Amino acid sequence: MDNPHFNSPPITRNMIGKRVPRSEDAKLLTGRGRYLNDIDVEGQLHACFVRSPAAHGRILKIDTSVASALPGVHLIWTSADIESQCAGMEAQFSADGCLPMTMPLLAKDVVRYVGEPVVLVVADSRAVAEDACDLIGLDLEDLEAVLDPRASIQGGPVANGERPDNVGIRGHASFGDVDEAFNNAAHVVSALYHPGRVAAAPMETRGCLADYDWAQDRLKLWVSAQMPHYVKLCLNLYLGFDESRCEVISPDTGGGFGQKAHVFPEEMLMPLASKHLRSPIKWVEDRRENLLAGSHAHEQFVTIEYAANADGRITGVRTHALVDGGAYHMPPQTMAVESWCTAAVTPTGVYDIPATEYVYEAAVTNKCPMGAYRGVGYMAGTLARECLMDDLGRKLNMSPFDIRRLNVVPEFPWTNPQGIVFDEGSWLETINVLEEMVDYPAFLKRQAEARKAGKYLGLGISVFVESSGESTGMLKAHGMHEIYHDTATVKMDSSGSVTVTSGLNSQGQGHETTLAQVAADVLGVSFESIVVDAGTSTKGAYGSGTVGSRAGVIASGCVNRAAYAIREKLVAVAANMLESSEDDIVLENGMASVAGAPESQVSIADVAMAIYWDESLWPVGFEPEMEFTKAWDTSRPMFSNGGHAMIVELDPATGFVNVEQVFSVEDCGVMINPTIVEGQIRGGVVQGIGLGLFEQLVYDKDGNLSTTSFLDYQTPTMDVSPPFEIRHLETPSKISASGVKGMGESGLIAAPAAVLNAVNDALAPFGSVLYELPATPEKMMRAMQGLVDLEGPEPWSKLWERAGVEPRESGSMETA
Amino acid sequence: MTSTSSSDRIEIDVEINGRRRAVVVNARDTLADHLRNDQKLTGTKLGCEQGVCGACTILMDGAAVRSCLTLAAQGDGRSIRTVEDLSEGSSLSPLQEAFKKHHALQCGFCTAGFLMSATELLESNPSPTRDEVVEALSGNFCRCTGYQTIVAAVLDASEQIGNANG
Repeated sequence: MDNPHFNSPPITRNMIGKRVPRSEDAKLLTGRGRYLNDIDVEGQLHACFVRSPAAHGRILKIDTSVASALPGVHLIWTSADIESQCAGMEAQFSADGCLPMTMPLLAKDVVRYVGEPVVLVVADSRAVAEDACDLIGLDLEDLEAVLDPRASIQGGPVANGERPDNVGIRGHASFGDVDEAFNNAAHVVSALYHPGRVAAAPMETRGCLADYDWAQDRLKLWVSAQMPHYVKLCLNLYLGFDESRCEVISPDTGGGFGQKAHVFPEEMLMPLASKHLRSPIKWVEDRRENLLAGSHAHEQFVTIEYAANADGRITGVRTHALVDGGAYHMPPQTMAVESWCTAAVTPTGVYDIPATEYVYEAAVTNKCPMGAYRGVGYMAGTLARECLMDDLGRKLNMSPFDIRRLNVVPEFPWTNPQGIVFDEGSWLETINVLEEMVDYPAFLKRQAEARKAGKYLGLGISVFVESSGESTGMLKAHGMHEIYHDTATVKMDSSGSVTVTSGLNSQGQGHETTLAQVAADVLGVSFESIVVDAGTSTKGAYGSGTVGSRAGVIASGCVNRAAYAIREKLVAVAANMLESSEDDIVLENGMASVAGAPESQVSIADVAMAIYWDESLWPVGFEPEMEFTKAWDTSRPMFSNGGHAMIVELDPATGFVNVEQVFSVEDCGVMINPTIVEGQIRGGVVQGIGLGLFEQLVYDKDGNLSTTSFLDYQTPTMDVSPPFEIRHLETPSKISASGVKGMGESGLIAAPAAVLNAVNDALAPFGSVLYELPATPEKMMRAMQGLVDLEGPEPWSKLWERAGVEPRESGSMETA
Repeated sequence: MTSTSSSDRIEIDVEINGRRRAVVVNARDTLADHLRNDQKLTGTKLGCEQGVCGACTILMDGAAVRSCLTLAAQGDGRSIRTVEDLSEGSSLSPLQEAFKKHHALQCGFCTAGFLMSATELLESNPSPTRDEVVEALSGNFCRCTGYQTIVAAVLDASEQIGNANG
C-alpha cells in the first residue's frame, strides 16, 4: 500500500548539512534547563518504595503499622490496595513464539527479583518516605532463585509461575539452503559470545510527577520518558483514565538511551496515588534503584557458526540467541525483542551470505527485567557476526579487511536471505576507508616493533548496517502487523515566524536545532525565525517514541510534510502577488521571488501577513489555513551503515586495556547537522567501550545485585575515553526528507565488536581468544596465561529439539 | 556531644553566588538539597547521591566539592558558587561558549558539574595541558558525549580567556 504520508516533498538544502550550534545549549549551560526533579507543584508529596531484598520469595507478611504512625506519612500501599484498580501491565512481542507476561505494579504474593517494588510510601518529603520504608517489616519465605538462563531455558525450577517453562520467547526460521552450505563447507567456524549485563544508566534517573485535579477530572503527568504518548495511552489501558483528560509532559531529559522507552510500575502508581490523596506526588529514584530496577540490557549468549568455501566465502550462517530476560516482560519492550532481533535481523549484516538459519530464545530468570538500551539485539548480533569474521580471517590467514572485502555485498539493491531489501549503501567503501584511515601497513609495523619491546597493541574493526529509523516499513518487512504513528505540526504566524511541534521528544539529541534546520529549508525562512517544541507535551503532535534511531528521520519527515503544506500556501499567494506562475516561485532567505526575475520579489513575512489579513491578495478559491499537522512514515525499510576501527594497548603487567584511538566511518545519508551526528557517534562508541571493557552488572549466587553504585558499575570516564577520527560517507535515502537516515544507535551497535577484535589482536602473541565482554583486567590476566573460560556452544541437535524442528545432520563438524 | 534528630534545624550564614544571607536548614539535608529545594538553584544536579558522578559539583571557597556529600550545615561561613553564577549578564562565559561551540553537551544533565570542575581548574591553572584537563575532569561522568569535545572545549576556553587577559 502506498499511502500519501509515505511521500517526501523535495527540499532545497541550505541549513540542512550545516554545523549549526544548538539552540538548546544556552539554557542547559546556565542551569536553566528544567528537568523532572526541577519541577515542583504546590503541595506536592514524595514517594518512595520498599523494594524486594530477595531474588525470589513468597510474601508472608508486610507490617506497615509502625511506618503508618510516623508523622508526615500519608499513604502506604501494598498490592492488596491497588489490585482492583490495575491487575498489572501485560506485554507481548509480536514475533512467533512470544508469550505474554504481566508485570504487577507492586509485587503480589511473590517477589521475583531484587529491587522489585513491593510497598509504596507517600510522605511529606523523600526523607520521611525513606524513613518510613525502613520501618516496614517484610517477611519472606525463600524460593529457589533461578539465575542461570542456560539452565532455566531447559525447564527446572520456575522463575515466574506465569511462564512455567521459563520461556519468554522461542522460535526458529531458516532461509536458503543452510544444510547444503554446511554439508559442503570447506571451513566451519563457530563460537559462543557472551556480552555482559549492562544498564543504560542515563545521568538523570527515572522519575515522574503526577498531579490529579479532581475538580476538573484532569491528570497531568510529568515524566522522564522517551515515549510520552505511549505513557498516556497506558494511563487509559492500565488505569482507565480518559486520554483526553490526561496530559503527559516531557521536560528536559537527562539521557534515555532506551531505558526511558518503557512504562514502569512506578509511573502508573503515581497517578493512582495522586487521585487517591488528591495531592500532587513526585517520585524520583536514586542511582541504586536505577541500577537495581531501571531495566537491564544486552546480556545474551549468542552462538554463531559460518560455513565457508575454500576461499573463505561464507555460504551459510547459523545463529542461536539466548537472552537472560529477567523476571518479567518490561512493557512494551519485552525480553523477546533482544534475542529475536539478534537472530532474525543481524546475522548477514553487510555480507553476501545466501542462507541463514536461527533459533531465538528468552529465558525467564529472577533478575531485573531486560529492557531497551541503544542497539537492542543489534549490538549482540553485530558482536557475534564481526568477531567470528575475525576468527575466520585468522584461520585463513587473511587480514580483517580482506576477509570482509571478500564477503561484502558487491552491489545494490541487495536482498538478504530473509527477503529484506537494502536499497543502497556504501558497505565496501566503508571497509576501504577504514583501512586507509588506520594506515594498516604502518600499524602492522608499529605492532611488530611494540611486541619486541613487550608492548601489546591490537587493532579491531567492526562494520555494521542498521535499520534507521525504525518504521512501519521495517515492521512490515519482518511480517509484523503493527504500525508507527508520528506527526508534526507547523504553524506560521502572520508576521512570518514559525512554530514547529514534533511528537518525538529529545533526551539530548538536539531536535530543537535539527528540526528547525529542516523547517527553515522547506519554508525558505531563517533558522532564527523558527521555534521548535519537540514533544514536550502530548497536547502537541503525536509520536511513537524516540527510539530505534528514528527521531531524525521520522520527525524530519513529518516536519517536511507539514511545512510543505504551508509552503504551498505561501507559493500560491506569492504567485498571485507577483503575477507569476506558482511553478516559478522560489522561497529562500525569507523572500518569495520569481525564478529568473529576482527583482520581482516579496518578503515571506508580507505573504504571511496577506494570508492572515488581506483577502484582496489571495488567488481565487484560496483557503487560508497556516497550521498543518501531517504524518510521515516509510513504506520500506531504510538502512544506514558504517564501521569503527580501534587501536588498543594491553598492559601486560596489569591486564588493563587502553583504547588509544578510534576511527569511525558513518554513512547516514544526508546529514542534517554533522556536529550532532558526530556527537552521537562518539557517545555511542564510548558506551560501547564501557560495555567492552568496564561495565558489568554482577549478581551473586543468591541473586543479589553486587553493583549498585557508580563505584561498582563503572561507566567510562574521561581518562579512559579515546580521541576520534570520523569520516562521513553519503549515500542518500531515496524515500526520506532530503535523503537523511537515522544513526543514533550505530556507535553502541558496532563498537563492542571492534573492542573485542582489538583485544583479541593484542592477545595474539599469547595464543588466546576471548569471547566474553567486558574484557576486564582479571580476564586479560588469565588470557595472557592461556586461560580463557570457554563455554561450548550447545549442539544444534539440542536447539532444534527445543525449537520443535526436525533434527538432521548439522554439518557443524570441523572439516578443514 | 549533642545528638541530632531528623527534624532538627540549624541556622547558617552562607554566601551563595555573591549574596550573603542567614538561612535555616534541615540538619539532615545535604548542601545539594538546600541549593535545589530551599534556594531553588536547580542548575546543580544529582546524578548518584553517592559522590561518584560529579554532577552536583559546586565551588566552595573556590574549591570543587560534591554538594551531595556535603551537609548544608557545612556551608556555614563559606562562599558558594553554582552554575547559575557563571554567565555574565545575559551572555555566556567563555567556558560556556566553548562548550556550545564544541558540542560538549548533549542532554545537559552532567554539564553543570563539568563547568564547575573546569572553572576550578582554569582559576588555579589558566593554561592546562590536555593531560591536566583529563586529570581534573575524570571525576565527572558524562553518558552522552564520549568526552573528547569536553576536553576540546576546556582547552579552547583556556586559550580564549588567556587571549582576553592579554
